[in-house]
Amino acid sequence: MKKNKTLKTSDTPARFKVGDRVQVRDMPNIFYSRTQNYVRGVTGTIAACTYKDLIPEDEAFDHDGRREQYYIVRFRQKDLWEEYPFDNDTLQTEFPDHWLEPVRN
Amino acid sequence: MNTAHTHTGDGHEHKAAPMVEEITDYEVLEIAVRELAIEHGLFTAEDHRRFTEWAESVGPAAGSRLVAKAWTDPAFKARLLEDGTKACKEIGIDWAEPTGVGTPSDYTNFRVLEDTPTLHHVIVCTLCSCYPRPLLGMSPEWYRSTNYRRRLVRWPREVLIEFGLILPRATWESEWSEAQLQFVRRRG
Repeated sequence: MKKNKTLKTSDTPARFKVGDRVQVRDMPNIFYSRTQNYVRGVTGTIAACTYKDLIPEDEAFDHDGRREQYYIVRFRQKDLWEEYPFDNDTLQTEFPDHWLEPVRN
Repeated sequence: MNTAHTHTGDGHEHKAAPMVEEITDYEVLEIAVRELAIEHGLFTAEDHRRFTEWAESVGPAAGSRLVAKAWTDPAFKARLLEDGTKACKEIGIDWAEPTGVGTPSDYTNFRVLEDTPTLHHVIVCTLCSCYPRPLLGMSPEWYRSTNYRRRLVRWPREVLIEFGLILPRATWESEWSEAQLQFVRRRG
């Protein structure tokens, strides 16, 4: 299968660092998304910067595109679910840069 | 399954019948996609056979070696927690070339999480059913079920109780939902 070449093949700069507060964007899914519904619009904290890689939307269709910084974001379970009874439980999952927006405390 | 029947002595012949009378839609789909892929030269039937044999033969032996080495070698444990993908090579697992027959890997990033007396990790893939197969082999069926994948993120402690694990309120429960990375948790 031939890879589709797009114009951008460089890395986009990483906008976030560990400890930053970020909110998950709620963008329309065009054919494919790996951004879960249950985190959209929720604010969390950058727990780790992992690696740069293709975004899922490109990788799923075998497109060579820009590489973005991936982050592990930590959410409080209390922020994800109504009436979650345990204060300290958290959920961690991973997003590429363009799915996150900065939040001022 | 073939149903049993008795002979009444009339001497009729039996034709060979398949052991499985029904085939699922998913099996039909798999065969169709596989045959199309082979026809289009994406891989050969031989490639498919070798990969299937590898996938069906892998169990948790490599994962056990990884954990045992981390328990007995503190320097290795530190390397493992720092860079899981790289440390796996020390026990003979290369995430970029897991099968040893040249088939590419879906997932090439791996991270190890350490439990403590006050922190318990639990792992799920809500998007699909990602699992660290080069280390642990095929995932158990419950791990791939929508039941587990939906419920664990919403009610983690309740689901863990169903597995027989009751976490004290003081323990911080940490869920890791796989999106790109593979996670494996280990007890410190």
